[in-house]
Amino acid sequence: MHGLQQLAQQLINGLVIGSVYSLIALGYTMVFGILGFINFAHGDVYMIGSFIGLMLLGTGAFNFATALVGAAILTGIVGIAIEKVAYRPIRQSGKGFEDTMLVSAIGVSIFLETLALIIWGTETHPMGAVLHKVSYQVGGIYISSVQLLILGLAVGLMVVLHLFVTRTVTGAAMRATAQNMMAARLMGISVDRIVSVTFAIGSVLAAIGGLLVGAYFDAVYPLMGWTAGVKAFTAAVVGGVGSIPGAMIAGVLIGLIETLGSAYISSGFRDGFAFIILILALLFFPSGIFQVRRGEGKS
Amino acid sequence: MRNHLPILAALVLGLLAAGPAQAQSKDIIIATASPLTGTCAQDGTAIKNGALLAADLVNRRGGINGRKIKVISEDDRSDPKDAAAVANKLTNNKEVVAVLGHYNSSCTLAGAPIYNRAKVLELSPGSSAPAVSKAGPFTARVILTDAAQGDFDAKWMVKDKGHKRIALMYENDDYGVGLKDVMVARIPAYGGEVVAAESYYMGETKDFNPSITKIRALNPDAVFICGLYNEAALIAKQSADVGWKPAFFGTDGIYSPALIALGGPAVEGVRFSGVFCADDPASHVQSYVKEFKAKFNTEAGTFDALGFDAMNWVLAAIEKAGPSRAAVQAQLRTLKVQGVTGMNAFDEHGDVKKDPLKLMVRNGKIVPAID
Repeated sequence: MHGLQQLAQQLINGLVIGSVYSLIALGYTMVFGILGFINFAHGDVYMIGSFIGLMLLGTGAFNFATALVGAAILTGIVGIAIEKVAYRPIRQSGKGFEDTMLVSAIGVSIFLETLALIIWGTETHPMGAVLHKVSYQVGGIYISSVQLLILGLAVGLMVVLHLFVTRTVTGAAMRATAQNMMAARLMGISVDRIVSVTFAIGSVLAAIGGLLVGAYFDAVYPLMGWTAGVKAFTAAVVGGVGSIPGAMIAGVLIGLIETLGSAYISSGFRDGFAFIILILALLFFPSGIFQVRRGEGKS
Repeated sequence: MRNHLPILAALVLGLLAAGPAQAQSKDIIIATASPLTGTCAQDGTAIKNGALLAADLVNRRGGINGRKIKVISEDDRSDPKDAAAVANKLTNNKEVVAVLGHYNSSCTLAGAPIYNRAKVLELSPGSSAPAVSKAGPFTARVILTDAAQGDFDAKWMVKDKGHKRIALMYENDDYGVGLKDVMVARIPAYGGEVVAAESYYMGETKDFNPSITKIRALNPDAVFICGLYNEAALIAKQSADVGWKPAFFGTDGIYSPALIALGGPAVEGVRFSGVFCADDPASHVQSYVKEFKAKFNTEAGTFDALGFDAMNWVLAAIEKAGPSRAAVQAQLRTLKVQGVTGMNAFDEHGDVKKDPLKLMVRNGKIVPAID
């Protein structure tokens, strides 16, 4: 394999894992856009989605496609429930709720991880042969069917999300709520419903990402949300929290940088590259690549 | 007063008699210290279970001099900080005669200064890093050192199998780095060449594609994994996913039923050295496999066997020299006990001396390798 072929191969590796970071980062950035707080439990929602998919597959009644849909729906419901139980009461209690919700999010994160440890144990679960894995070779570069599926699905979902946010009435209501929650409410938008929709979309994307990664690495485990969550969070910050295209692009960027860094600099620093990017971004682009203007009147 | 004298005498006599009798019936306490939660929980729990079975078997035949063996188990979560806390807790409990632990080399090394200061034997069933040899006179192990296993594996790969160009994948901690250093030194000694050494984080790295792509480009004859079964399974699977099936080798770190449960067909043909094989026809191994299955309803593996042997060695030392911390440690230089993982006898560093077995995965089972 030549140097150039190897570089192309590493770019594919980076694109695949980066597109998953993007999917998860969208959940962080959308919630931040509307509620102004980082939902630190989001990485664990991704883990829960992965396990729900694993359980559906375990029943034998689901194939990968239907398990993906099933896990997405159930995890969406979990996301709505988390918002209702852990965030909504705080939000409705008055001004300055962002910091309190952050603490609540950490609590939800610990709760979900511990719950997963109790239900599924500490060990790593294989997803099994749920996907027909084929490896294609094009000009000395290998790409597997799972990698193609992840790339295709991630890009497709992001296009759909973009259309949803920019072209539908609910999308317009989401953007309005993100700009100014109070004004949105005065315009007759049901803010609570928009918040629920936002959590549902974020959780659905995380669940799909979780199941895809579970199949890609063939490993599902209770603490999987931590590393992925931290990297997706970095992507959200680098992209400019609140910016949907920013999260998409920064997620892919982080996947590429950590893969290339791990291949050409040192595999030992692999997980460190995301944080180097985070620190550099905070130093030089504190509001991210895509800056988001935030409105007043949050309540 | 005179009338009371016999009663008093009887009471005193009774107390005198009761005193030693109470001490006689008091349990002998041995501790296990291993990860019971976290990424190494499977091995850590296996060690605890092996030790429990050994104590159980001795208790079933009446204990040692009428005293039952009681096992207390602590969880170090594979974290050196927790390991130090566990070491302090166990050494402060004066009833603990010896500690079977820890599992991760980083944890054994973190606990070593504490055990050595308190003069409590720290007999590790799982730490094979070279550094453990120099951890102190109260630190010993029933697992082969990485130096011994690495040398054996280097010879096996390069001399016996003719794999000259070897790529290493190593876990970035005391265990993986120690083993990697052994391989980097020993592979050239047998005429081979280390073409790459890629690191990863145990329990955290799941995406091995960048390293696999890099190693594959170098076209090595074999990949040697300086790490544990979870990662070995993932490396083999992710290689197979992109259509690459190199010869994989490792040490007993990758020997676990979980390797096959996780790796499936991708780990067929993976070879590793080990000290225990459940398919070994020897009668003491087979009776262990049967007892273990009966008690825990899971298959016996390397680390429960090592936990079992560590406990049996300590019990034999207590039987010979009495249940004191110093007496047990003093037996290290002389006492040899045949176990299910080979003969447990120690050199001057507290390192066990035994011959490894050549093992491989065939048809989804771990069997002795014929070549």
